[in-house]
Amino acid sequence: MSTPSYTCPWCRIPSEGADATCPHCGAPIDVRAKVSKSGWAEQPPIRDMARIRFNRSTCQISGTYVPVAEMKLDQEDSVYFSHHVLLHCDTSVRLDMMKLSGGFNRVLAGMPLRMMTAQGPGFLAISADHPGETLAVPLPANHAIDVVEHRFLVATRNVAFHWENSGIWYTTQSGDEQEWHYPLGQTMDRFTAQGGPGLLLLHAPGNTFIRDLQPGERILVQPGGLIYKDRSVRMFLHFEYPHGQYWFSSARWQAKAVWLTLQGPGRVAVQSVFERPELVGSVRSTSGSTTQYW
Amino acid sequence: MDRIECQWCKAQNEPERTSCNTCGAPLDKRNIVSDSGWTEAPRLRDMTEFRFSSSTCQIEGEIVPVAELALSQGDSVFFEHHVMLWKEPHVPMSAMNTGGGRRMVGGMPHIMSVAHGPGRIALSRDATGEVVVLPIHPSHEIDVREHAFLAGTHSLNYSFVRIKGLANVLHGGSGMYMDRFITQNEQGLLLLHGYGNVFQKTLQPGEKILVEPGGFLYKDSSVQMNTVKQTFKTGMLGSHNMFLAEMTGPGRVGIQSMYVHHGTE
Repeated sequence: MSTPSYTCPWCRIPSEGADATCPHCGAPIDVRAKVSKSGWAEQPPIRDMARIRFNRSTCQISGTYVPVAEMKLDQEDSVYFSHHVLLHCDTSVRLDMMKLSGGFNRVLAGMPLRMMTAQGPGFLAISADHPGETLAVPLPANHAIDVVEHRFLVATRNVAFHWENSGIWYTTQSGDEQEWHYPLGQTMDRFTAQGGPGLLLLHAPGNTFIRDLQPGERILVQPGGLIYKDRSVRMFLHFEYPHGQYWFSSARWQAKAVWLTLQGPGRVAVQSVFERPELVGSVRSTSGSTTQYW
Repeated sequence: MDRIECQWCKAQNEPERTSCNTCGAPLDKRNIVSDSGWTEAPRLRDMTEFRFSSSTCQIEGEIVPVAELALSQGDSVFFEHHVMLWKEPHVPMSAMNTGGGRRMVGGMPHIMSVAHGPGRIALSRDATGEVVVLPIHPSHEIDVREHAFLAGTHSLNYSFVRIKGLANVLHGGSGMYMDRFITQNEQGLLLLHGYGNVFQKTLQPGEKILVEPGGFLYKDSSVQMNTVKQTFKTGMLGSHNMFLAEMTGPGRVGIQSMYVHHGTE
């Protein structure tokens, strides 16, 4: 039996390093990591037709603009996914519904209440609907990550899925009307590998950048740009009021920015496409935030 | 000592460089020019870095590229505030009033955000495309379609021009206003986001070309832009109108390959 000689810098899992791509996350092995001067590492796109192994099954990523994850499921293996991402599947694959409890809040938040499960044997293909990248996130046993809504593509059945309130909100007041804002969505998906390693596939529009924050290190990101974070990463809102010509200048108030502060330690991933932030009225209350007046 | 001239921005570079120090265009690749004379804007290599004033800009990603700016003390850039992807917490921000209440009517931001050095900030738009880097030489003026502007350096003056003629506003596909960038003394740098691929053509004086209005991206202010109606007969009584932007040289015209088609009746 050969010993692992290569540790993938993206998924941090050792492998033999004999292939051109990491067998656990599909990242190319024979390319140098592209790291910007500020420390963001660009997640290398999974090469066309690269294979990822999980349990007794494989997942092949095909295409480059809107990649397709084509899974060859062993009869002992199963995966789950939102029904709207299914592209094709063999008739031998057994499709079923995976009920999720306590989903009323999720319906209110516009998220799918049910997931579909697919049990092998056979082929099954999944794809999202934006140009972007498929991210393979292998989860070591008992490891959990928090993923922003609508980024989830598919996961192996031993990855437990539940959602939690994102805990990131603020309210604004306009006249008598109060409006609630959830810049990350009302809920965030939490995926935890149980009883062994699991595989999670996400889809991120645009390009993806990863950063490992040191303990206490902070960075401000657009809330709509976050893809996932380690559970250890703290987050809270940051309101920034730019310096205007006068202290009462309307420019100062209209160009204010709503940032998400991410504080290490832990890994965070952002995408280069994000939802345009709303213009914010007068902020009344928040889930916890800092403010900067320049 | 021999220098390499950038085919895109004409800046002179040291011979050992593989990308232009001023605009980031690859120096070891020839310009790609179609038979009709359209030059493909240089696709900036991932992690390409170039300089402006005392600061640098690094382009990351190839699907929806990010422009990461490392601002030095005394340098600043301005942009529409919704293009900020991330920033370092200590980067000071200010707001620049463009004096354009009228722009609100046109659906355009009338306030620009300004980020001041020292520190880093990253900007990106919201669709697949490429970053086009246009160094603006002193006394040069360039007009850019709405919502294509990513960032401008502090030496650029920003204003906007109203597109003349109701027919041009209604059928031109470029909205009511165009952004205008002028530089006076110091060279400025303008970053645009073109949707899809970007092509540029230099028109000779009096030379005309018709382009899809939604595909128009930028032009030298010396280029005249008018909307022309093309009428096609469809049977005995029917007809079909199509509106195109007529560009008249001299000057450069930039177009993008991904656009929303406007104004077919």
